[in-house]
Amino acid sequence: MMSTMNERPTATLLALDQIRFAYPDGSIGLDGCSLAIRRGSRNALLGANGSGKTTVFHHTNGLLRPQSGQIWYAGQAIDYSRSGLRRLRSKVGLVFQNPDHQIFSASVQEDVSFGPYNLGLDDATVRERVAASLLAVGMSGFADKAVHHLSFGQKKRVCIAGVLAMEPELLILDEPMAGLDYRMQEELLAVLDGLHARGITLLLATHDIDFAYRWADHIHLMRAGRCVASLDAPRLADYAGQLSALGLPLPAVIALQHGLMRRGLLAVEQRPRSCAELLTMLETARLGKGDGN
Amino acid sequence: MLIEESAYSNRWRKVSPAAKGLFALAALVAAFAAATPVTAFIIAALVAGATVGGAQVAPGRYFRVALPALIFLAAGCLSLAFSIDWNITRGDLLIQLAPDGLHTVAAVGARSLGALAALLFLALTTPLIDLVALLRRLRTPEALLDIMVLCYRMLFVFSTAVHDTVTAQSARLGYATPRLVIRSLGGLVANLTLQVWQRAHTLHVAAQARNNDGPLRFLQASFDNAARDLKIAFAAGAALVLLSLWLR
Repeated sequence: MMSTMNERPTATLLALDQIRFAYPDGSIGLDGCSLAIRRGSRNALLGANGSGKTTVFHHTNGLLRPQSGQIWYAGQAIDYSRSGLRRLRSKVGLVFQNPDHQIFSASVQEDVSFGPYNLGLDDATVRERVAASLLAVGMSGFADKAVHHLSFGQKKRVCIAGVLAMEPELLILDEPMAGLDYRMQEELLAVLDGLHARGITLLLATHDIDFAYRWADHIHLMRAGRCVASLDAPRLADYAGQLSALGLPLPAVIALQHGLMRRGLLAVEQRPRSCAELLTMLETARLGKGDGN
Repeated sequence: MLIEESAYSNRWRKVSPAAKGLFALAALVAAFAAATPVTAFIIAALVAGATVGGAQVAPGRYFRVALPALIFLAAGCLSLAFSIDWNITRGDLLIQLAPDGLHTVAAVGARSLGALAALLFLALTTPLIDLVALLRRLRTPEALLDIMVLCYRMLFVFSTAVHDTVTAQSARLGYATPRLVIRSLGGLVANLTLQVWQRAHTLHVAAQARNNDGPLRFLQASFDNAARDLKIAFAAGAALVLLSLWLR
């Protein structure tokens, strides 16, 4: 039998424990925030603007240092020395909300190569990683294009490629869907699913409750600098009160499911995550009744 | 933006920047080595022909890019052609054609045209990112290149910021009267100043997030036929210089 004690440090990739942080102007960024990210999982961080999502992200990458509390990465407390931060930032990749805040170089492949060079890799390895990262985000054909000739969605992909090229274990994306049209969102979602299939742990901030419910394994609710709930996504319906306090509704599919349950069309224990799943359940229920008759 | 569009869309986009740089340098040397205005003018015409005919930069675009420089050159030549004599005691201002004025204008003007054609050749056929990569290979100081890269990148970020701000101001009648124009321009400058500071900070944070703690290092573009391109550029450049020396 595997020892649970041995599994615990690796199962939790990142843990924030009672983190407090106030900005120089006195505004509270985090106020006793605790949350844990499991290795290999997909996580959505939900919360209103100013609830501390970006501040959490900046702490995970060592850009901000907690004024109290402790952050653990792969079972080790974060080391804020120069070499410790280098190790951390090579494992935790952060994609900023606005691509223009992240992209340095005027050329796509130059910008993607920025992170790997900072890791001290040689030219051949950097070239390989740049090609692989651009392929992963579907931007191989844009390698020698100028960044300012790209659309907003393409710039976002370049940002992700720039972080992927550092081969992080944990990829953090600050509101990746913001500013993208529906098609671009679907394309980005396919990219994220591909990364998850490669074993990369994903943590993203979003305001889209339907997307978070459909996509994430775990959902973390942020309010006033604190993580007020961390839950398995299928249990989101049990947190209607907490969501309401955050100004968020239940996902549309849950509201629809509740309506169908009240009419006796769907069993209580079923928890569809998307409209497609709900439709399949309805079809199954209808066929079951047909068999019964 | 005209230069930018041309640099990315011309036929010689994939030609090694080292080769294009070598040819432009040779054209500059040939223009300065030209003993007569006619020779310098021939050099200018040949280089402009290579840009328009060889790299297939549209003639209209070429002329529009060259126009501001040509106006500047014309103004400079005019000041060379005339001499100004101001007699303080009499209070007279005398403007007259300088004795060697026309000859000087022809010599300086033709050489400048040659130099302009050489620089336009490089600027209109080579994206700045390729030029920076070339300068990096030529061991230009890292700090200078970092500034070039950031300035070039920020140029487009800020042109978008300026466009957005001006649009937002115009939508609320910010440029309706001359007085409002001054007020709005002041607001624009103040807004951009703040944005410069904020962008600098966010870029610094972004660099840290990707483990940067020193010079900005980037992958250099590779060009498949660089050796062949260099040979052709060397031959063409040498021909230009020899022509310039031969037409003495």
